[in-house]
Amino acid sequence: MRIDRGHFRWFLFSTGLLVVACVTYALYARGAPGGPTGGSAMGLTFGIAGTAFMLFAALLGVRKKRPHYRVGRAATWLKGHLWLGALSFPLVFFHAGFEFGGPLAKVLMWLFILVFLTGLFGLALQQILPRFMTQNLPQEVVYEQIDHVRRALLEEADLLVTGATRRNPGVSRPKSDGAIQGRVVESRAVPAVQDGSDRAPLVRFLDKHLKFYFQPRGPAESPLADPNGRQVLFEELRSDVDPRLHGVVADLEAYCVQRGQLEAQRRLHHWLHGWLLIHVPLSWTVIFLTAVHAVMSLYY
Amino acid sequence: MDSPAQPVGDALGLEEMQALPVFGDCPPELLDDHVGAVLRRTFRPGEIVCREGESGSTAFLLLEGEAEIYLTSPVAHLENVYNPRGLLGAITTFLQAPVRRTSTDASARRRIPIDAPAELSQDSPTTTLRAGDLFGEMTGLSGYPRSATVRAQTDVEALELRRGVLDLLKRRSRAFQAQIERNYKARALASHLRGVPIFLGLSDAFIDGLRERVELVRYEPGQVICTQGEDTAKLYVIRIGFVKVNRAHGDGEVILRYLHRGESFGEMGLLGAGRCRTTCTALDHVEVGEVRREDFDRLIDAFPAIRAELEGMAREHTERTAPVGSGMDEFLVQGLMDAQDLLLIDLDRCTRCDECVRACAASHEGVTRLIRDGLRYDRYLMPTSCRACHDPLCMIGCPVGALRRTDSLEVLIEDWCIGCGLCVANCPYGHLNLHGSGEDGRAVAGPPPKAIRCDLCAELKESPCAYACPHEAVLRVDLRTVAVGVR
Repeated sequence: MRIDRGHFRWFLFSTGLLVVACVTYALYARGAPGGPTGGSAMGLTFGIAGTAFMLFAALLGVRKKRPHYRVGRAATWLKGHLWLGALSFPLVFFHAGFEFGGPLAKVLMWLFILVFLTGLFGLALQQILPRFMTQNLPQEVVYEQIDHVRRALLEEADLLVTGATRRNPGVSRPKSDGAIQGRVVESRAVPAVQDGSDRAPLVRFLDKHLKFYFQPRGPAESPLADPNGRQVLFEELRSDVDPRLHGVVADLEAYCVQRGQLEAQRRLHHWLHGWLLIHVPLSWTVIFLTAVHAVMSLYY
Repeated sequence: MDSPAQPVGDALGLEEMQALPVFGDCPPELLDDHVGAVLRRTFRPGEIVCREGESGSTAFLLLEGEAEIYLTSPVAHLENVYNPRGLLGAITTFLQAPVRRTSTDASARRRIPIDAPAELSQDSPTTTLRAGDLFGEMTGLSGYPRSATVRAQTDVEALELRRGVLDLLKRRSRAFQAQIERNYKARALASHLRGVPIFLGLSDAFIDGLRERVELVRYEPGQVICTQGEDTAKLYVIRIGFVKVNRAHGDGEVILRYLHRGESFGEMGLLGAGRCRTTCTALDHVEVGEVRREDFDRLIDAFPAIRAELEGMAREHTERTAPVGSGMDEFLVQGLMDAQDLLLIDLDRCTRCDECVRACAASHEGVTRLIRDGLRYDRYLMPTSCRACHDPLCMIGCPVGALRRTDSLEVLIEDWCIGCGLCVANCPYGHLNLHGSGEDGRAVAGPPPKAIRCDLCAELKESPCAYACPHEAVLRVDLRTVAVGVR
């Protein structure tokens, strides 16, 4: 979520609470004979408040399970998740008196720090990556369709070069190619025109470079993945083929550019969402261990 | 109970055709060319004559007996279905129920137009066909899907007419035409006249008087019925066919809407309220009922109170439908019609988490109408939602007239959609889908399919996709406010 002016009220509210908590803790710490402890009344108050905010933050996951329920806008929930979740961090430290305590408390505190840091990391990524993707990946597709589009592009390249008559029905889908006027693009490739030109260099290029580059592991190993290498290879191809086929070469190059964008999109998508694979399980672990910690503290 | 009909009937010979009154005034030499094109079909009670949504190329003329004509598809809205069961269900319903906008659409129709002499009520979409009734005329002439299911109620004898012979009858048989006109005036015309905006709420006596003055006129595909700027001085009510309504705009034209059976145009000409503001062209075999201004004037002399009322309504109608200013050109160029809500996704904010898609699916019985793909404009993505194109091709050919434009030019799919899929095929942008159909578009088991479009949940104050977006990236922009400013 982008942090912008829409967060101002949350910022004011959270900052106010933080100031109140800091002042209270300072007074409490100064007056406590043996120093601040989690078991004191004030320490418990900080612990309960911090846990409540943690629980609220965790409820965002539950809210997302029912996206159509009218229980408050998801954006409001996320703002609460960010600001109250962040506020729980100092409150938990106030609860513990900045001590990590016994083994369970120590594990709990370190996990909590990790949750906080992964959350910050995810938030930072969300400030940067969406805009980066918008600016640098104009041919971005729906993530789940990346493999489909990759295969479709190869089919089109094949069609363009060899004139094969088979068609991938998946290519035929309504799609804009970026123009503001949407239109049905069944396939950008037209079957190879039999104009007497020698297509052997094109076919060799297709077999040697393109087919490999369009495989899942292609971007990691193919010279076409590198923009400079790609430019060199296509220049060589242009010099090898009949000038009448330069249009075909340009189309193939465009396919390669899009292939590169698809791979970049996949990578950025993993960054954009991968941190959740750590943040979410850790969060639920912290919630669970917090419950254990509370029971054990009260029992013993 | 439904049972299959006989697969074939008996082809009529020349003498048999001549013996029938409807062929009485057709020249034998012309009839001779159509021997074999007329089948005599018989149906036992309960047998299905034809089914809604089926393709076909023939019309049926009922000779004897009675048949029920009805829609099998439920007249239902494909929106959220809340079925509270118990306390938990009630709580869930409360949580799901969004705030709805109140509809102010004055153009909403109350009757379902079908390809038959009668119309169907929305509450109970069934009626009876009797001897002399012709149904499937548009299927026979123009190949549109069957608009309704017909089932024999008694022993039925019918003629199945192929296009050529149907065309011949309409051109050369006065008896046939008179029969069609009589049936139309008796059973559907009053409802059609009541659909004319300026006639809403007028007395039955006035409508009856108007009905007597209607004359049926045929137009061939492509023929211009009235031209923008001309003094038409006529009211047109469509009996069959589709009419394209367009208006000159800058150097080109804007297609305002496609009118179908039961809709009307030219009513302002009756009141002398200026020249025709649009050009209306027959898209296929069109037949319209026409009322001339002289006849209308004679009628209205008998109802002096109505004239003032009509003129007031005409003024209001004129203001409401005033042409948009030239400032809208940019919207038109971009394929975005005026008076639309537009769904945008701010890609700088969007983390591609697809919460919007999940919310859409959860709100629409598990089927998402939102595909996070489409046109890009700067940092905004315009997902595949209905843009109410300036040429709404989806509206052409709907056998039950279920697609229509509101006064604000928004395209709506009425609840009586029979799921034939013609609009889905016609939409050039793939923005319409058949709910309840497989990937290849064919129907799957379950409720009958219906056409759906992402209408941006226009009836809701905030669409589920925007409500569920955690990043405030989904925006529903109300272009109506922009349009009003430009006007």
